[in-house]
Amino acid sequence: MDSQSAVTMEAGAPTRKESGRLPSRHGGHAHGHSGLARTAHGMSSSSLRKKSDATLVRKVPVASLRPVLANLQEVLLGTKLAVLFIAVPLAVAAQCFRFGQVWVFALSLIGLIPLAERVSFLTEQIALYTGPTIGGLLNATCGNATELIIAVFALVQGKIEVVKCSLLGSVLSNLLLVLGTSLFCGGIKNLGADQPYDRKQADVSTGLLTLGVLCQSLPLLLRYAVSSGEHAVATDTTVLELSRACSFIMLLAYVAYLFFQLKTHRQLFEPQEIEGGDEEEEEAVLGFGSALFWLILMTIIIAVLSEYVVGTIEPTSQSWGLSVSFISIILLPIVGNAAEHAGAVIFALKNKLDITLGVALGSATQISMFVVPLSVLVAWIMGIQMDLDFKLLETGSLFISVLVTAFTLQDGTSHYLKGVLLLLCYIVIGACFFVTRQPAPHANNNGTLLDVPTGPMIVQVA
Amino acid sequence: RKMDSSAVAVAAPLLEAGGKEMRHLGRTAHNMSSSSLRKKSDTSLVRKVPCAALRGFLSTLQEVLFGTKLFVLFPAVLLAVVARYMRFGQVWLFVLSLIGLIPLAERLSFLTEQIAFYTGPTVGGLLNATFGNVTEVIIALFALREGKITVVKCSLLGSILSNLLLVLGTSLFFGGLANLGVEQPYDRKQADVSTGLLILGVLCQSMPLMLRYAVSAGEHAVNSDDSGLVLSRACSVLMILAYGAYLYFQLKTHRQLFEPQEVEDDGDDLVSEDEAVLGFTSAMVWLAVMTVITALLSEYVVSTIEAASESWELSVSFISIILIPIVGNAAEHAGAIIFAFKNKLDITLGVSLGSATQISMFVVPLSVLVAWVMGVPMDLDFNLLETGSLFLAILVTSFTLQDGSSHYLKGLLLLLCYAVIGVCFFVLRRRSADGSN
Repeated sequence: MDSQSAVTMEAGAPTRKESGRLPSRHGGHAHGHSGLARTAHGMSSSSLRKKSDATLVRKVPVASLRPVLANLQEVLLGTKLAVLFIAVPLAVAAQCFRFGQVWVFALSLIGLIPLAERVSFLTEQIALYTGPTIGGLLNATCGNATELIIAVFALVQGKIEVVKCSLLGSVLSNLLLVLGTSLFCGGIKNLGADQPYDRKQADVSTGLLTLGVLCQSLPLLLRYAVSSGEHAVATDTTVLELSRACSFIMLLAYVAYLFFQLKTHRQLFEPQEIEGGDEEEEEAVLGFGSALFWLILMTIIIAVLSEYVVGTIEPTSQSWGLSVSFISIILLPIVGNAAEHAGAVIFALKNKLDITLGVALGSATQISMFVVPLSVLVAWIMGIQMDLDFKLLETGSLFISVLVTAFTLQDGTSHYLKGVLLLLCYIVIGACFFVTRQPAPHANNNGTLLDVPTGPMIVQVA
Repeated sequence: RKMDSSAVAVAAPLLEAGGKEMRHLGRTAHNMSSSSLRKKSDTSLVRKVPCAALRGFLSTLQEVLFGTKLFVLFPAVLLAVVARYMRFGQVWLFVLSLIGLIPLAERLSFLTEQIAFYTGPTVGGLLNATFGNVTEVIIALFALREGKITVVKCSLLGSILSNLLLVLGTSLFFGGLANLGVEQPYDRKQADVSTGLLILGVLCQSMPLMLRYAVSAGEHAVNSDDSGLVLSRACSVLMILAYGAYLYFQLKTHRQLFEPQEVEDDGDDLVSEDEAVLGFTSAMVWLAVMTVITALLSEYVVSTIEAASESWELSVSFISIILIPIVGNAAEHAGAIIFAFKNKLDITLGVSLGSATQISMFVVPLSVLVAWVMGVPMDLDFNLLETGSLFLAILVTSFTLQDGSSHYLKGLLLLLCYAVIGVCFFVLRRRSADGSN
């Protein structure tokens, strides 16, 4: 049935499957039910949506088929990224027909882009039904579902380095690449206008990120200290135990952050109002059951593609002559973050920097303080020895990135030079990993240190 | 017609009404700072000379050579040349060259400012930006030519440290003491931009260092021995790009952040230089002459540095990091302190932070690229102690400057940081010959 009531402000809204679940709307009820699940994340991805054209569907004669098709159209074609969906079946075909592992890798990566965006859309839809707090939690937890799934698969295959590098690269990409391009494009577009943002939100995220870096630095420093004889430890797995303890603490910090963000200090995180937004999606466009169904389906497809990616990463690295570190730190996160990235840039162009910051910093904080420690604990359950020691180059880059971002964001206004600086930092870090190669097999992934280096570099044959 | 500066000073308020634009053409914080060391030429002596052509030449000479309070140090230049040819001893040559460089650096800055009057605002700003640290560039080039990469790295690093900690520290300290009880505000936006660039610079220097350590520890591997060099060269290009963006930002799109505060004409020790006092050609000639003399003295310094280091039992690192920059920055240093006394901290910050940014993001990568052209393997890996000191110095400076007002304790903190870093390099000794790069 068509519920084209006067309540909806969008022309041509598709049919809704369930009746009577209209949430309370705007006007006097200010931020009633509808504004609650609108995190910065949701608003950012919404910029990539497009209105479904309901006219095609109406031509279908069979009445029962119509809602299904409308549903399908909303889910599959509701985004400008829909064109990339083709890569999904191609990737599956490539894997089954053995086109070559590099093809499987590339196609899977491309296929992940629209899937990540759709999962975020579906999460937002579900959040509209579940109430404010759970909705916020859902958005917070599933915002980086792609990274989480890739990490889990890499753990299953025992590729600890891929896990560490992809998570670290995701944090770096959010802090430097997404934020840098947004501030740069926004600054160029709004030359001469002041670009303010609320620095309180940035401060909270930065604080958490610094705690995250500390938790990663201490196992690393411990390893170096033990190797140079400054300290001694009881057993070989002390670093591992330290990491697991730190992971608990990081999860605790993240829970406190969620409580802060969703309960006690909500007002700091309200996104700026969008006047005349053409996507007024304060009603769900899908029913709860159908959204849940699609979410599960999409997650399964993401899982399949992620498994392809993780399985073919070494042959790709050899074939392209790049190290696994570089591919995990630079290439994978660019793909995983592509949808958020586009959304953040669009909002920066409109001079709505609070939303950009909410996306970029929120994502970085979530990965650093939730996905990373979760991976360590899941690895513990699986019996895999993953620790928080992300090695010197990676941890050093992360530390300086957090520092640069913190300094850049501390004064409450932005201009294009800030974006340029962040981008250049990202390129420098990328260049550094570009020149690395795979270490020789005798150096194990956890990198037990041999001695404190003194002289020039040692050449290692890959 | 161009000589009577006092007439210019009187005319300045009249010109005020005609708009400030022309006034601020070449007037960066840098120039205003150095101008505090100038003094008005006394033209009465010159007028006694009967021959007109000679008069013009002599007045130019007077303006150039005696137009600064530092001219008393000029005899050191002659003595240095004499020491070279009479073989007085390398240590004497080193000391005299260093002393002689002080007034030369100041005069170069003066001449650059004069030329900037003729070339328009943007080119003038660019000229000031590029030649502000010409002494450091020349020393670096000569050291590169002689293959003394340590000297290059240490002298440039020391220059940044000196600007960030020593110049800024003494300025904030003395300014704070002189203005006890008065608030000392400055515009922190300018400081934020420079700090951001400096952090990018230290990132670019840290990555090759960390790469070297990571490879030695077996965490990563590289294709060839000079991957660090390749990385450094790529980073140098990026650093110069960042500096170009900074210049564009400073000179074109966001000029208003960098306008120096107005300076009231104090009459006695400030020369109101809203017109050029030298002709364009004569300024160019003098600039060329001064540059040649600076090059000469720099060559003496670079070639006698080991002898001085042995004779004084200090490491080459210490001399390059502490002594040489103190000399190279002496004129700017004095100017920055004077402006801090007058509670004009924006100018002080413009001088010290601007200089540090220029060296870190322009001179250092330029040296790497010039070394590449020369075939010298200089990279951005400045060793652990130096890079660590730089990193902490930038951190301290950023934190100190982030609230927009100053007091003497901030200056004291920065000074003590500098003293600590100096002591650390003081206790080093020279590495043995095979360990030097």
